[in-house]
Amino acid sequence: MIFPTEINLLDISAVILLVATFGLIVSRGFSNWVNAYRYQTIVLAGIVALIASVSNIWELYIVSALTLGIKAVIIPKILFYVTKKLDSPIKLEIDPYVSMKLSVIISALLVAMSYFIFLYLDIKSNEIIQVFLPVSFALFFIGLFVIVSRRKALNQMVGLLTIENGLFLFAVSLTHGFSLIIEIGLMADILLGVIISSILLFRMSRTFDSIDIKNLESLRDD
Amino acid sequence: MNEFSITEPLFGIFQVLLLVVLSPLIVGIMRKTKAKSQKRVGAPIIQPYFDILKLVKKEEVVSDQSSWIFRCNPWVNFVATVSAAFFIPVSIVYSPFGVMGDILLVIGLFGLGKFFTILAGLDVSSSFGGLGSSREIMFSTLVEPALLITIFVIAIFYGGTNISTIVASANDISFLASPGVIFALIAFFIILMVETGKLPFDNPSTHLELTMIHEATVLEYSGKSLALIEWSQSIKQIILLTLFVNIFIPWGISNNFSLTEISFGIVLIIVKIISLGILIALIETRIAKWRLFRVPDLIAISIASSMIGVIFFFI
Repeated sequence: MIFPTEINLLDISAVILLVATFGLIVSRGFSNWVNAYRYQTIVLAGIVALIASVSNIWELYIVSALTLGIKAVIIPKILFYVTKKLDSPIKLEIDPYVSMKLSVIISALLVAMSYFIFLYLDIKSNEIIQVFLPVSFALFFIGLFVIVSRRKALNQMVGLLTIENGLFLFAVSLTHGFSLIIEIGLMADILLGVIISSILLFRMSRTFDSIDIKNLESLRDD
Repeated sequence: MNEFSITEPLFGIFQVLLLVVLSPLIVGIMRKTKAKSQKRVGAPIIQPYFDILKLVKKEEVVSDQSSWIFRCNPWVNFVATVSAAFFIPVSIVYSPFGVMGDILLVIGLFGLGKFFTILAGLDVSSSFGGLGSSREIMFSTLVEPALLITIFVIAIFYGGTNISTIVASANDISFLASPGVIFALIAFFIILMVETGKLPFDNPSTHLELTMIHEATVLEYSGKSLALIEWSQSIKQIILLTLFVNIFIPWGISNNFSLTEISFGIVLIIVKIISLGILIALIETRIAKWRLFRVPDLIAISIASSMIGVIFFFI
């Protein structure tokens, strides 16, 4: 049984998650991206705990704690370590493919689009799904948009992590949690992915003296 | 509709006087907060009153290149902002004069004041005035869509553009009408910072030509005119703060016309406005002035936020 105030709480947490996701689009500096990702993940962990308390599944509390520990503490630590070690001269997104104002408006349209997609889906069986499914779509689309519109490799990593957050929210809100083993496996997978991509980032920075992905497009062997 | 009585219009006039008299105090409190958080002593919080008194006593110097627009601008500004104050519900859910005008009229009156300020900046043949006018017109054209979409969001959630209707239905709803209102709140907060010349957009306390926007358009004024202009600017600020408080955090505002509830409402609204002013001043100390061409980014956030608010209504 879900009371009206609890639905209100779910709605508001969804809004806070969307706002935290918008923080990712509007920030320009390296540490800002990582911090925006960290805030987003903390909100996500709170939402998972909220879903756990609404649906009375205790495993979700562990999942929430895991999210908080791995995604909001360890992964940002790795990313900050990478940022410190990189000897790239400029640590700002100088000219992204899409300008900041346009990308904010495009992401608002993406949020609209994810809600419209949700209107045509046939799975509106309970309140949690109704509230969080469109938000998870929105996270997915915004992450994708960040990947295609920014030039710096670190930013693309953060975009990938946002997509992953969206998928995680999608899975949790739709199934009320996988079994715990799968969840832990997924977390380890993400951790490994981040470590591997930061190693790649180091090599890229050492080879090209920058982490602009434009350098990867020229296929010249010299 | 209850029968006509003389007390309600009198109370409405009292509310307007309250706004007009208290507005320099809010400016003083915000300056004091900024000074305290920057480890300065700062001027006393009633310094804006002293400033206005001093300026009224001073002789006025008017450029001989200027026309009547330059002389009538302070009065147009002052009258426009004070008449906008008549439509704002302050401590009671409806304004006694609210039947005559809605939130669009308030924005129109502000627009009239801004239009004359821009004309006056162009009127005196100084280069700074033209510069300030062009920047001000750029900002106001950018803010216009954000403001209108935000008002559209608030109007569709609370059932009408009349401010009394909006505040009354905002007060009726227990916690929040919808998450869309949070997005409208974010958008309105950004607009409030733009319209009152707060720090990421404009810094009215400096006299550097790089940072001047509103300041440059009124640079040529002196004496009584300057006092009027500063006063109307602070009235505009307190009106926007009151609107923000009454639309988004209206709890405790009085529902009926009884003495105890109204006095409680007045005390509460003053406390709320002062806390909002202190919050804005604290935000202002944490950020630096942005480059002029980065400002559209923040206004784009405002537009996007209010667009999502609209979406939340229709799903």
